[in-house]
Amino acid sequence: MDWDIIWLFVQQGVASGLVSGAVYALLALAIVIVYRTTDVANFAQGEIYMAASYLAFFLIVVFAAPSFVAIPVTILIVCGVSAAFQRLVLTRVAAARGVSVNLVIATLGLSYLLKGMVRFSGFGDAPRSFPSVVPDGTVMIGDASLSYLDVVIFAASLVVMAVFFWVFTYTKLGRAMRAVGMNRRAAALVGISLSRVQMQVWAFSGGISAIAALLIAPKLLLTVEMGHIATLAFAAAIVGGFTSLPGAVVGGFIIGIAENMVGLFASSRAIIVTPFVVIMLVLTLKPQGLFGGAIRVRKV
Amino acid sequence: MNRLVVILAALLVLAAAVALEMIATGYVVYLVNLLLVTIVLSLGLHIVIGESGQFSLAHAAFYGIGIYTTAMATSAGWPFVLALLVGSVASAAVGLVIGLLALRMRDIYLALSTFAFGEAMQWVFMNWESVTGGPNGYNIRPMHVFGLEIISDRMAFPLVAALAVLVLCVTLVIHHSGFGRALRAVRESEIAASAVGINVRAMKLAAFTVSALLAGAAGGMFTTFSTFIHPDSLGFSATILVLTVVVVGGIGSVWGGVGGAVVFGLLNELLRQMPQYQEMIYGAILMGFMMFAPHGLFAALRRSR
Repeated sequence: MDWDIIWLFVQQGVASGLVSGAVYALLALAIVIVYRTTDVANFAQGEIYMAASYLAFFLIVVFAAPSFVAIPVTILIVCGVSAAFQRLVLTRVAAARGVSVNLVIATLGLSYLLKGMVRFSGFGDAPRSFPSVVPDGTVMIGDASLSYLDVVIFAASLVVMAVFFWVFTYTKLGRAMRAVGMNRRAAALVGISLSRVQMQVWAFSGGISAIAALLIAPKLLLTVEMGHIATLAFAAAIVGGFTSLPGAVVGGFIIGIAENMVGLFASSRAIIVTPFVVIMLVLTLKPQGLFGGAIRVRKV
Repeated sequence: MNRLVVILAALLVLAAAVALEMIATGYVVYLVNLLLVTIVLSLGLHIVIGESGQFSLAHAAFYGIGIYTTAMATSAGWPFVLALLVGSVASAAVGLVIGLLALRMRDIYLALSTFAFGEAMQWVFMNWESVTGGPNGYNIRPMHVFGLEIISDRMAFPLVAALAVLVLCVTLVIHHSGFGRALRAVRESEIAASAVGINVRAMKLAAFTVSALLAGAAGGMFTTFSTFIHPDSLGFSATILVLTVVVVGGIGSVWGGVGGAVVFGLLNELLRQMPQYQEMIYGAILMGFMMFAPHGLFAALRRSR
């Protein structure tokens, strides 16, 4: 291969990788905050995201709701459903037999329930295209070309991440979430309501998933199986150490770029298997990830 | 008295099996064969999740390795018993490697890496076209058992049933042996287990290896009555199906796995009339059991009495 072509591929791979990586980073953030504060690995993350994009599609196409109504309504509904799932199902599962196997199985249950509901609604029979509010057109960055939509996705993701970090670092709500993530009993002792914070975290993660869905939906076709993208978010979270928020963001970009590079240099068939290979390699060789710090041994 | 009940139950099952072989329609025999394979799969998953408390989400991958290896050995002209053995051992060898992963991680990390392995294996089945036929699927040749060619579900049934009973006996022996107690000790507390002299690492490896061995055997059983396998049926949803069976029967109970498979097999038949509800009902079952009956259907029934 010619050096010029390789250089072009590298630029295009990085540019496209940053765009898709931004969305993976958002989903990875949702996975990580939920895991840190409620000890649940949310295997339904991808399906929450999938259901959110179908909900928005439903509102816009069937109810003919304008985007400025449909978008906030979608985000609010997904927040509410996530919080309700935590409140009604997960607390009950934890009380019945709160081992992690059971919690994971409950989220797998949610993922199947959501898939089944979307299929039942009749919209899942064929791939649907989501109406885009961003005009068509491309910009060139270096030799790489990106559509206006790509630029909007990337910029909006960065804004959402900035808001997220502001909430997490400077607000009372964010401090409570961090405290619960560090030490549950100590947080309860200083007057933080665990049940309320855990519910808020789920609502928060639902909101981020909905935003990620709204951002990338116009770029992809809607299918019931589109939740597969959560595997990439899991890979991103694992690369970042699974408990680190900055790690999730960096991991998202790494996975996005790696995915695009594999697509450009190897084959498009190899893209599918990339996240699984990354997950296995990172967990086997460096289980604490890039940002996980030293392995902590839990005493009995 | 108790022994009498067991003997009567065994005779009843035997009579049902003979009746099935004599008078049932081909479709019913096919369903029962499939049910027996599901039972063996769920017993395999029971060993790793129920007994040793390790999370494995790659069961369909081991099943697939068993199917392809057995089918290929048959195509090469090997007798069934040998082909089944090769399929099971190949699956067990991969299980041992995955067990090595389990030594380094636990809980959700293990769940994620086994999930990733399962998906990667499905990708291999789909893309290694020279061996598995890729997206075109693989045509399984008829088996030869002691010179007899098995060409129908009805001919395969005694063989499948015998293997299922054998696996059930092996699982029961493991459950009641020192090995089973050691596995459960690891499940309850690794530190306490190693304090009483149990080799925790060896137990984890053994659990994964035996579980994969049984899944491979289930794959071998499948090849006796099925003529075709496609990678689509070896994905995550197949693992979820087996997991649902184990959950319905009760995690940690051998007979629960068997009962769960029967209940679930019947439910599945009912759901065939309305496939649009299928995923929703699976999801509701998984969530509902985790919320209200984490020890399974039979434990819940016993408690409500």
